[in-house]
Amino acid sequence: MIDKKSQNIDLQTTESGFKYHRGSALSIFKTDRYEDFVALACALVIALVVYILIK
Amino acid sequence: MVYTRKSPALLIAGIILLVHGFLIAGGYMGGVQKYFGIARAAGEMTTLSYIFGAIAVVVGLWHWLGSHKQGHFDYYSSSVAGAIFILLVAMVVKWYLAPWVAVMSRAMGPVAGTAAKPSYLHDVLGLNYVVLGIVAGMLTVNVFKIPDWAQNGVRLSRLGLKTGVILLGTLYSLAELAKLGQLSVIMIGCFVLGSVWLVLLIGAHRKISNSMGGVLAAGVGVCGVSAAVAAAPVVKARSDEIAYTIGTILVFGVICMFLFPVVGHALGMNYVQFGAWAGTGILNSAQVAGAALAFQPTGNLETLKVGEIFNITRVLFLPIIVLWLAVWYVRRETAAGGTVAQIDTTRVIWEKFPVFVLGFILMFALASTGAFTSKMIPYFREWLTWLFAFGLTGLGMQITLAAMRQAGGEPLVIGSVVGVLKAVLSLIVVLLLVRGTV
Repeated sequence: MIDKKSQNIDLQTTESGFKYHRGSALSIFKTDRYEDFVALACALVIALVVYILIK
Repeated sequence: MVYTRKSPALLIAGIILLVHGFLIAGGYMGGVQKYFGIARAAGEMTTLSYIFGAIAVVVGLWHWLGSHKQGHFDYYSSSVAGAIFILLVAMVVKWYLAPWVAVMSRAMGPVAGTAAKPSYLHDVLGLNYVVLGIVAGMLTVNVFKIPDWAQNGVRLSRLGLKTGVILLGTLYSLAELAKLGQLSVIMIGCFVLGSVWLVLLIGAHRKISNSMGGVLAAGVGVCGVSAAVAAAPVVKARSDEIAYTIGTILVFGVICMFLFPVVGHALGMNYVQFGAWAGTGILNSAQVAGAALAFQPTGNLETLKVGEIFNITRVLFLPIIVLWLAVWYVRRETAAGGTVAQIDTTRVIWEKFPVFVLGFILMFALASTGAFTSKMIPYFREWLTWLFAFGLTGLGMQITLAAMRQAGGEPLVIGSVVGVLKAVLSLIVVLLLVRGTV
């Protein structure tokens, strides 16, 4: 069981025991900021693909 | 730990997609398409089935037959299986389930509206691919369980939603953004600050701990789960307090996501009114997108555009609220005789600033230069539809009954009181003050 006094915010951990060694229950990425940058990279790639194919 | 599961499941999913693409392209499913009224989507169905089918077959072969060692490659490549799993569910819902529900609903005859513009049951209840996708996700996780081989990748759904929000920046004009921006700053400013203040006030009155009050205020006031998670370290919240907050937000958010579109249609709200209301009154960011798309699932996605401007404005308040809570917490704890380490406010703002909002602004700036022609906009809309369908179906897969059951006690009472007040007051403000469209 998880220590309830800890600041571990992995929801999945509190429900069904330790599950993921990396990321959290909501994301595979270590931090929100890292996820934000990956999302930005994905959006730029999609924009580039649309730009090249439709231009 | 090795995350890749040696299972043929992904390969089988890929083969199913390729066969589906072949059947559609060859016209073998013309009768089915005609029955469901989805003949126009044949191009999209073929292309997406071929592309993602090919990816699933290649990666599926690697997963099944390759040898896997612990490391970054194993961790990230294993998530492809979950992503394809979400996409497969979203495709079934968007291409077959939602059209079938619409066919059945029309067969039952109109339940509201006029002879010229009848409303059917699926219109009234908002049973479109967005709502059904979330329900399918919730059923998958709570009734059938997510298969082991897909577990890791299901956590990619939030990435899909964030990518969608950034890409949404391509759809706005400067005039739209200026008008909606002014409205959203005023409304969100009042409601975010007001609800944070109210939670802290009621929390102090009901004698809940400062850490519980702080994390609940962030969750209820700003943007739901992300805000609660962001505020947790500065108010030293414990995991059970965060779980209470997340449970409360999930219960309230799920109810709002299904209820808001029904109320919106019943009151005859236009897209600006509904987007403003959803962006202000719904607690969790992802569920704002869900409600906006449920209200207007197709067309030019204006409701989503308005709702997301309000949501982004709300997210921009996050560093301010985290800072407020940090100062508030130190004062309360010090006044109670405790000792709390000083907080580096500049570091708090820097660490909590949501970078994906800058991505949205960057995309808007690119669009404003005229880089994207009007010919490209429908393609961006198509991408957006799928990114949100993917993200919201995956979101449904993360709404577990166990997580919702964590809601309870004082946090649920305080969160519900403030949440209902926020939803009702924002509805009144929107109906009274927001007129016309942009």
